[in-house]
Amino acid sequence: MTFLESLDPEVAHAIDAYPAERYIAVGEDPPRARAMTEAINSVMRANLPPTDVAIEEKTIPGPDCAIPLAIYRPPGSTTRGALLWLHGGGYIVGVERDDARCIEFAEVVGCVVVSVGYRLAPEYTYMAAISDSYAALNWLTGQADALGIEPGRIAIGGGSAGGGLAAGLALYNRDQGGPPLALQLLIYPMLDDLHDNPAGHAVTHPTIWNRDVSFKAWRMYLGAEYGTERVSPYAAAARATDLSGLPPAFVSVGTADLFRDDNIDYAQRLMAAGTPTQLQVYPGMFHGAEMLVPEAAQSLRMRRGYLDAVKRAIG
Amino acid sequence: MAFVDRVDPELAPVLELFPAELMTLIGDDPPAARALLAGLLEEMLKNMPPTDVTIEERGIPGADGEIPIVIYQPPTPVPRPGLLLMHGGGYIVGTAREDINGIGYAEHVGCTVVSVDYRLAPEHSYKEAIADCFAGLNWMVDNASELGVDPKRIAIGGGSAGGGLTAALALYSRDHAGPELAFQLLVYPMLDDRHETPSGYEVTHPNMWHRDVSLKAWKMYLGDERGSESVSPYAAPARAEDLSGLPPAYVIVGTEDLFRDEDIDYAQRLMAAGVPTELQVIPGMFHGGETFVPLAAVSQQMRQGYMDALKRAIG
Repeated sequence: MTFLESLDPEVAHAIDAYPAERYIAVGEDPPRARAMTEAINSVMRANLPPTDVAIEEKTIPGPDCAIPLAIYRPPGSTTRGALLWLHGGGYIVGVERDDARCIEFAEVVGCVVVSVGYRLAPEYTYMAAISDSYAALNWLTGQADALGIEPGRIAIGGGSAGGGLAAGLALYNRDQGGPPLALQLLIYPMLDDLHDNPAGHAVTHPTIWNRDVSFKAWRMYLGAEYGTERVSPYAAAARATDLSGLPPAFVSVGTADLFRDDNIDYAQRLMAAGTPTQLQVYPGMFHGAEMLVPEAAQSLRMRRGYLDAVKRAIG
Repeated sequence: MAFVDRVDPELAPVLELFPAELMTLIGDDPPAARALLAGLLEEMLKNMPPTDVTIEERGIPGADGEIPIVIYQPPTPVPRPGLLLMHGGGYIVGTAREDINGIGYAEHVGCTVVSVDYRLAPEHSYKEAIADCFAGLNWMVDNASELGVDPKRIAIGGGSAGGGLTAALALYSRDHAGPELAFQLLVYPMLDDRHETPSGYEVTHPNMWHRDVSLKAWKMYLGDERGSESVSPYAAPARAEDLSGLPPAYVIVGTEDLFRDEDIDYAQRLMAAGVPTELQVIPGMFHGGETFVPLAAVSQQMRQGYMDALKRAIG
């Protein structure tokens, strides 16, 4: 069976929705890739249905510089859970205004979503992203009263690079004695720089996140550590040797995703370490397909799966 | 973290309610285990809620004599989808009157269910079990119109040993030019005689399916082949080297199940072989927990998971 034949029929048509050029630019010309991504995002934002969720942009002080945040609040004034959201983009592109996803979490879960504009590679390597995310998490817990958030109901999560960063942040937060977390939501997380497994070799299609662009992104994100034995687990969570004492995890990935086996293996290791972990693997879904073809049955199931997981944890 | 602390809080109380005696008897005195279960089964059948599903017990011709089967028919229009059901019981105990699943699938999916009373170990080995199931499958296909079944929508499925037999039957049917199958439903399947994984060592609690009883059951089921390199994949599907060309699969297991890692590994190998495969791993769930505490949230999630999977595939 070829890669294309393995796709869910309802999402297969969208695999070439964006030009291959986009991922070539991620690997070779990040500023151009950011411009292309922002062009796509601005169209998507303009086409979002009206919402009651209020969106506020603000900056908070960070360890090295100000950190931009986007805060999404559902209407009403009850005390809520909160999701610290880390956007995707291969650690190279993407911004905190991840409206389609954040609005959906705020609406369906009824939680406050704080989305972090963490610093990106290649201008910064992974410790900048981790420090910014950790600073935002501490800001969120420190402001819990003002934000109307219950401190016991705080989750972290993200998709793709954001999922990898969430896994790295869960490790960093554990090791630093940071605030307790109700959930780490790992949506097809980018957490292994090696991709040395069947899916890591099989997914080479140029218009989706593929082996070649992924290695280029890892090289920028890891800097001098790339290709060595001393890659930090805060950068590539799969490198962590101790996965005990972490918050409950929810891992979701499609079978046609470059990260499929990375993600299954990580979930399996979390389980062996005694971390309460749910794993959902959806047949025929490629990386990001549930956002690209949102009405496909499998996309609805995948989103319902992780939205419900957040709702159970902090809703 | 102790095993009991990892079990979902809603399920933990029943751990102590099970008689450890049952597992001991399965491993050491199968006839006594069957007698004990026959009593429990009679009680359970008396307490089943009323249903519109009709239940017929009959015999079909097999290679070595008659094979008893049970047919569950829902009151829905024909042609219906069909499920060949293999019951659980460690290959040692259990009967085709697995009403909770026979009725459950017939009601939820609207399918005809044919449940096979395959021959059990230690009186018989895997060869008889697989022969009986293959005979049951061929009979179901040959008699599709009499049964009101659409031969293009026939799935095979089962839980525990029944899940293992399902996986084995999928391999056997592929290799022996058997009927085309729409789906294989693998509910915490018993697939690997070695249990050389983290969960294969973790789960030793005496009141549930655990390492010791499982190795004893495999010894009876495999006969001389146990532990050798020549174990047949029709007995232990994890031993199969080629998983390509199999029907679409659904695998579900709990994190506190002895079979967790072998089931995840098998699903991962199916995916790598290009078989459309869905995998769900439910946190805090032990082997069969959803049948003992059906109202617990994780139980409902699990049962809904496999019931809906069958419905999507053939319903």
